Amino acid sequence: MPRYELALILKAMQRPETAAAVRRTVETLMERGAVVRNLENMGERLLPYKMTKHNERHSRGTYFLVDFYCAPSILDGLLNHLHRDVDVVRPTVLKKEEQEPKSSCCDEKTRQEMKR
Amino acid sequence: MWSLGTTVTLPAFTVVPELLPVLCQVKMLCVRGLQRLKAIFYLPRSTSHRSLTSAEVLPKDDALLKVENLSRESKKGCMLCNVTVDFKNIQLLSQFVSPHTGRIYGRHITGLCGKKQKEISKAIKKAHSLGFMPVTHKYPEFMKDPRICSIKHLD
Repeated sequence: MPRYELALILKAMQRPETAAAVRRTVETLMERGAVVRNLENMGERLLPYKMTKHNERHSRGTYFLVDFYCAPSILDGLLNHLHRDVDVVRPTVLKKEEQEPKSSCCDEKTRQEMKR
Repeated sequence: MWSLGTTVTLPAFTVVPELLPVLCQVKMLCVRGLQRLKAIFYLPRSTSHRSLTSAEVLPKDDALLKVENLSRESKKGCMLCNVTVDFKNIQLLSQFVSPHTGRIYGRHITGLCGKKQKEISKAIKKAHSLGFMPVTHKYPEFMKDPRICSIKHLD
């Protein structure tokens, strides 16, 4: 199964409510047959710009990163569900990039091009 | 007296007494002319001037060392050669963005190679859309970061 990453921005809430929202999201993922690999909390911060969602203007938010494997067919339904969730400010599913073996980006050819 | 047809050959050091004043005048003219020419074409030369020999014109050992340095310079690539670019690493991405407007700097300013410049640009745009990085400015805590882009800011 391909590997995806969910960059989730939740509304700035109290700790138990945030925990409940995360639990809800992960359970939704697992219900649809996704295998959650990793869950990362990037903390609560000031948002880079004010976001309007569900008739509310958000200045602060909590960032989460969910690493999971799933079938591509469920993504549409999943995003639909996340957009409808009131506590979620911005859900984005990305494909996880494979870490390439570190080949030097500046080999002879590119160096010649740089000189020009 | 000379006739028109004949050519006169005089031995080197004889001076015909009748022509002495004429010759003197000619000589003076010649000398003055030469002096004027000399004044125009005179090149100032040092008193200790020596003619350039081939040994002095050829480069010495330090010139050969300089050639070695040049080859070493061309080996190193752009500054992000072994660095993976990620949209989550907004501190790195903010270094390639203007602090006043938040615009992404071009290749001529960042000095990155084609591949890395594209990666950085894509990552910045991704971070903008995901809500990780501000669009029109730079996070204040990143303003003190070292300046890698070759652009002068009037601070």
